[in-house]
Amino acid sequence: MQNNNARERTAYPQMMNNREKEKYIENYNFPYCDESAKYEKVAKIGQGTFGEVFKAKDRRNSQKFVAMKKVLMDNEKEGFPITALREIRILQLLKHENVVNLIEICRTKATQSNRYRSTFYLVFEFCEHDLAGLLSNVNVKFSLGEIKKVVQQLLNGLYYIHSNKILHRDMKAANVLITKNGVLKLADFGLARAFSTNKSGVPNRFTNRVVTLWYRPPELLLGERNYGPPVDLWGAGCIMAEMWTRSPIMQGNSEQQQLTLISQLCGSITPQVWPNVDTLELYRTMELPQQQKRKVKERLKPYMKDPYACDLLDKLLVLDPSKRADADTALNHDFFWTDPMPCDLGKMLASHTTSMFEFLAPPRRSTQMRHHSLPRPTTSTVQDGGYIDRVF
Amino acid sequence: MPGWYYDKKELKNTPSAQDGIDYQTEMRYRKEGARFIIDTGIKMDLGYSTSATGVVYFHRFYMFHSFKQFPRYVTACCCLFLAGKVEETPKKCKDIIKTARGLLTDQKFNTFGDDPKEEVMTLERILLQTIKFDLQVEHPYAYLLKYAKCLKGDKVKLNKMVQMAWTFVNDSLCTTLALQWEPEIIAVALMYLAGKLSQFDVIDWTGRTAKHLRWWEMFVEDVTMDLLEDICHQVLDLYSQTPSQSNESPPQNQPRLNPPPSSSVARPSNGQNNPVSPDQPPPMHSSIPPPSDVPTYIYGTFTGAPPPVPGFPGFSAPPMSAPPVPPHMAAPPPGPPPNIAAPPPVFPFVNHPPPFAPPGVPPGANYYQPPNPPHRQFYPPP
Ligand SMILES: Nc1ncnc2c1ncn2[C@@H]1O[C@H](COP(=O)(O)OP(=O)(O)O)[C@@H](O)[C@H]1O
Ligand SMILES: [Mg+2]
Repeated sequence: MQNNNARERTAYPQMMNNREKEKYIENYNFPYCDESAKYEKVAKIGQGTFGEVFKAKDRRNSQKFVAMKKVLMDNEKEGFPITALREIRILQLLKHENVVNLIEICRTKATQSNRYRSTFYLVFEFCEHDLAGLLSNVNVKFSLGEIKKVVQQLLNGLYYIHSNKILHRDMKAANVLITKNGVLKLADFGLARAFSTNKSGVPNRFTNRVVTLWYRPPELLLGERNYGPPVDLWGAGCIMAEMWTRSPIMQGNSEQQQLTLISQLCGSITPQVWPNVDTLELYRTMELPQQQKRKVKERLKPYMKDPYACDLLDKLLVLDPSKRADADTALNHDFFWTDPMPCDLGKMLASHTTSMFEFLAPPRRSTQMRHHSLPRPTTSTVQDGGYIDRVF
Repeated sequence: MPGWYYDKKELKNTPSAQDGIDYQTEMRYRKEGARFIIDTGIKMDLGYSTSATGVVYFHRFYMFHSFKQFPRYVTACCCLFLAGKVEETPKKCKDIIKTARGLLTDQKFNTFGDDPKEEVMTLERILLQTIKFDLQVEHPYAYLLKYAKCLKGDKVKLNKMVQMAWTFVNDSLCTTLALQWEPEIIAVALMYLAGKLSQFDVIDWTGRTAKHLRWWEMFVEDVTMDLLEDICHQVLDLYSQTPSQSNESPPQNQPRLNPPPSSSVARPSNGQNNPVSPDQPPPMHSSIPPPSDVPTYIYGTFTGAPPPVPGFPGFSAPPMSAPPVPPHMAAPPPGPPPNIAAPPPVFPFVNHPPPFAPPGVPPGANYYQPPNPPHRQFYPPP
């Protein structure tokens, strides 16, 4: 080592040695990357696949709160994770009222104690609730007009990201945030990616191992790799139904079971209702229940009551992705244009003074829609030590 | 929050300059670093956009740190490593280092220290912070193809011109042009240069209107001839530089290729550079073709010829690997042939300086805002 360094320093006489380099890094004030110490952590509000999420307060403005998502790098052999790079790049491109706003990326100071390796945080505008948290609280009651507003904002967000050629690929209630003023924000672009409409005729080869199982559309379950925006609209349909059922409508515990649940609700998966479905990779491998009648409206009617709501859901939970409503079509549905019209959630939320997040909520109780009583996959049900987060 | 564009004065007052490195030496370091990223990229079958993105990171990095503090080949590897991930063409760090090992002399490789991978990994965090996580970089290539589709004229000549311009874009990475001008402008300038050298006169183009004197006025506004010539000269100067005599970075042994072009563009009068001399070998792998009668693909630099353009009949397959599938978020592949394509919108060129993005505008602010969906007005329930 000594030898090497000596040689190195003869060849490049001015080059810094390791010690000097460490000092340099420690003292360099990166003009574009603030230290995370400018925020003060208040509480942990989430624990996901890629890291913890904290609520934090801006030290220079005690009124301003942010959510800090830690970039997990501990087991990364290949440096800064490609998934985090994707998330950052996509969030930097997307700027919309209904998409969570990435404010900046912060770092911890490089010091000897962290071996001169900073930790990074994605810093977001803070949203007081996530939809999973709200739905799991029985005291939160949505009127029909308020539900319309939620679904409309959800579709508006999807319309925007799809217009910008981004697929979300992880639609679920925990990834939908709601501010205390009732503004909905799509969040968690950790699995998102860009897509191109392949005019060239070269099919995409995306991974089908995306989307939390309960929200995963049939084409992904059947191994489709050339998929597109309809995958997110299936998820939007599942979330929409959940606004009434209060828990996920199809809670499979395996891909096979998820397909069975889908068939039982949406009817048998056949080439008659879905041309060319038989060409999908797993069509023959998976067991697909036959002679199932489509019962979307029938089974959801008791919850949703509103016929327009049932009709829109029926158009979102369509098996064949090419016939599934896109965001634009869905936004034009009578559901949003008949009385009661979509109305602001701000007033209703004002009566709830604590933040509601899935992470902080007890596991949601099962309903009739739930076939199997299982813990929610992919999300932790760990109870936080009774932290009550005041919104106001 | 400045953009990533600098004026010439700023480019002469970099951290390296403040550290006592003279301008010519810094330009050589930049060129060598860029060249090395490109060569490593080729060796590893990385697409042109990955290499180009890596080079832009490299140039930006040294607007904040000096070449004395960070040896250029380590930085270059790190930039390529990060660009690989960003452009969805990831390569293992150890493979990049292995390739680098093969391309560098022992002496140069020693700058990687005892644990080269660790060295690159540590640097990656510094790089990310330095470039403020601005990962998305646009390059002139896509604009080149887009503009070419609008030009009318002899198809064979046009193809030749586009390929030459493509080569100039490759080589422009070895200059600091990417720190000075938007990719649209660079594309226009280097197409203009290629047009001159290959004697392709643009007389007509799709979407021409009475107010357009020059084809590029359809795409960029307020670009003066002085500016175009300045950009062209910065690229041409690469071919006229005397190989460096430095021991630290001896010139690479280049095969003698075609002589550099005799430019029909007037030389700048700054007197800094040697005039183009036909018997001087170009210092880079690339050989710039003489104006006429070059075999089609001889002048490939690091990517070879441009990718085939759909709608350009007679564009044979490129000599090297086909261009990669357009990376994430890159401009979509060329669309329908020119006679169908609607004229693209005029790029709202911002005079330079000020920086490209007005201060305070978030990086994504000018990203496409879709029109509101045509929601119908409220109507009474049936
Ligand atoms: N901007 C935010 N404001 C408030 N809570 C947030 C914010 N971003 C994330 N969260 C909370 O943290 C949880 C996890 O964040 P998410 O981005 O979904 O990461 P993961 O990929 O780990 O699921 C979310 O479900 C939500 O409850
Ligand atoms: Mg999540």
